[in-house]
Amino acid sequence: MALSVRSWVANEGGKHFLLWLGGNTWLFMRTFLCYYYGQQYHYLHKMLGLGLCISRASASVLNLNCCLVLLPMCRTLLTCLRGSHRVTSRKARRLLDKSKTFHVACGVAICVFSAVHVSAHLANIVNFSVRYSEDFPSLNVARYKGEVTHTHTHKPDLRITGVLLVLILFLMFTASSYCIRVSNYEIFWHTHNLFVVFYVILMLHVLGGALKYQTNIEAHPPGCLRANQSSPDPTREESGQALGDGRSCKEEARFQPNSPETWLWVSGPLCLYCAERLYRYIRSNSPVTIVTVVRHPCDVIELRMLKKDFKAHPGQYIVLNCPSVSSFENHPFTLTACPTEKKETFGIHLRVVGDWTERFAELLLPDPRAESEILPMVQQRRYPKDGWRRFRLRRLYFVWVCRELQSFYWFAELLCALHRKLWQENIPDYLNLQLYVSQTDGLQNIPEERYQPLSSRLLIGRPRWKLLFEEIGKTNKHKRVGVFCCGPKGISRTLHRLCNSDRYSGTTFEFNKESFS
Amino acid sequence: MGKIEWAMWANEQALASGLILLTGGIVGVAGQFRDWQFAAYAVAAGVFVCLLEYPRGKRNKGTSVERTGQYCFTVCVKSFGPLTRNYYVRAFIHAGICVPGGFMLATILGCVCLGIASLIYLAAAIRGEHWEPILPRKDSARKPVADSINRPPQNPPPRPPAEMRRKRAEDLEGAAYVNPIPVTANE
Repeated sequence: MALSVRSWVANEGGKHFLLWLGGNTWLFMRTFLCYYYGQQYHYLHKMLGLGLCISRASASVLNLNCCLVLLPMCRTLLTCLRGSHRVTSRKARRLLDKSKTFHVACGVAICVFSAVHVSAHLANIVNFSVRYSEDFPSLNVARYKGEVTHTHTHKPDLRITGVLLVLILFLMFTASSYCIRVSNYEIFWHTHNLFVVFYVILMLHVLGGALKYQTNIEAHPPGCLRANQSSPDPTREESGQALGDGRSCKEEARFQPNSPETWLWVSGPLCLYCAERLYRYIRSNSPVTIVTVVRHPCDVIELRMLKKDFKAHPGQYIVLNCPSVSSFENHPFTLTACPTEKKETFGIHLRVVGDWTERFAELLLPDPRAESEILPMVQQRRYPKDGWRRFRLRRLYFVWVCRELQSFYWFAELLCALHRKLWQENIPDYLNLQLYVSQTDGLQNIPEERYQPLSSRLLIGRPRWKLLFEEIGKTNKHKRVGVFCCGPKGISRTLHRLCNSDRYSGTTFEFNKESFS
Repeated sequence: MGKIEWAMWANEQALASGLILLTGGIVGVAGQFRDWQFAAYAVAAGVFVCLLEYPRGKRNKGTSVERTGQYCFTVCVKSFGPLTRNYYVRAFIHAGICVPGGFMLATILGCVCLGIASLIYLAAAIRGEHWEPILPRKDSARKPVADSINRPPQNPPPRPPAEMRRKRAEDLEGAAYVNPIPVTANE
């Protein structure tokens, strides 16, 4: 399928995070060259070779990514940023919406560079032993020459912190595949909470001080001859640097371990994230009252709740925790009614599908106390209340696909009220409603007279997305159309592909989606 | 709350450990360390573990997501019957495979990871889980079509006879109608 460059850039340009890639590359090359050419690492480099440069370069990239990986998870902070006046560009807001993708990208980078780092250090272990230095005994890590060789391996001194870090990373990585998140979210959540242990051990890991740099370069230029040395250093030509050049040394080379800088990178984001979790916990402690429970067809329950000082915008979601059902489980639900100045209650619609929702629904009939924790993430507005001209939205196409006809009753009142209101304000074409019933062998007609606007817009079968996109493209030429998808992965993938393709006469389609897994 | 399927996590871990073991083995053989026989063993063991763990099992409840192209592997693994169905056997196989990897520096990480996977398989086996192959669903789920499809209607739908349908010249008023769309002459 032909790719529309304009749409592709709108949908993927920010995603590739060229800045992030560039930053990683620059950091890697900078550290690599520092250890390759740096005078203070000359002797160490001679001993270890490329293993030194690669291990240190990958360590600095790991520092950067361990710092950045926590930031997209500070959701309260990101929401405040997204809603504030400082972020006015839509591109920046869409970039903030992709925070989970960025977190995954940093996580993958951490795993990849950990593998590189471990391999390079394995090579270093061998080289420390094979090239055990008699001249500079303080530089050595091996206890004696030949401790670890190609021919015989004693037990080398493996850093236990490194091994533990890799094991924790292994557990976290294997539990975070899509399949596990969808089927057993608790495994993912609890292994990911091991990040605290990971960071603590990381701070201990860098305290080892195995790699040392030379402190007295002026007094002892690397490669200079000593009093009892007759021939010049044979490897001098290979390293290609201007060295001591036969000058005699004023003093012996002195070495000092590198000072650890990981804590500089990591402590800021770690404190920020811990503060965020604390804030969420404190906010979640105030109780929530359930005001109304409404049963809808197809196992859907509408819940209206009241909480002090609760503010929300359309499109945000809340996370519910009900200790009587399960103390550790938190489930997200999009808000379907936000608190306004006139009415303070907020509401969600929840579908009874898994064991948590079943138990919760059973408890709802008496009146349990549910505490809720709010993790707002702002998306595009869907229900502008009044003053349509204020918003840049000119037309709204609402496509709703359900398996059974009764599902449309969940929001039938709301949709009909909106339709009537738009008629009265003389902008009936603002909202284009299309309802699809995908299972063709059930009921096919909404009989109620008051829902007549819905029954006349009801279509049987699945929507033909390509035709829909073509129609929207033709009627909105050279405009920007935002596509917002909330649904299963199949639809999401189809729509994403259609948004990027090139058949729509100059219209740009921007793809956004909401998913909780 | 609810049953956690440990086997799914153990499967992901075992696949990842197989890859780590394979990589470590390749490095060991390429570097020509003295114990390179262990590295060569690790390569073979890694490949075996990957082939065994590639096909995902079926979930007890809910939809199972297959790995790409896993059908042929599913058929191979299914053919071993109870050896691959039972997770106790898998736990012990992995525990046995991982031990020789511990003797060499390059493969020690694969050994530890496979050991952890083996422990989780043991936990899954104790909880009574077992491996079910994901096979393509047969299309018998469709409702059978009613028998009347073989007997289409013989008569056209009821309507009055042709004389009544024809417009009569006497009744011009009744025959006329107002065109909803204005008709203009062709220019």
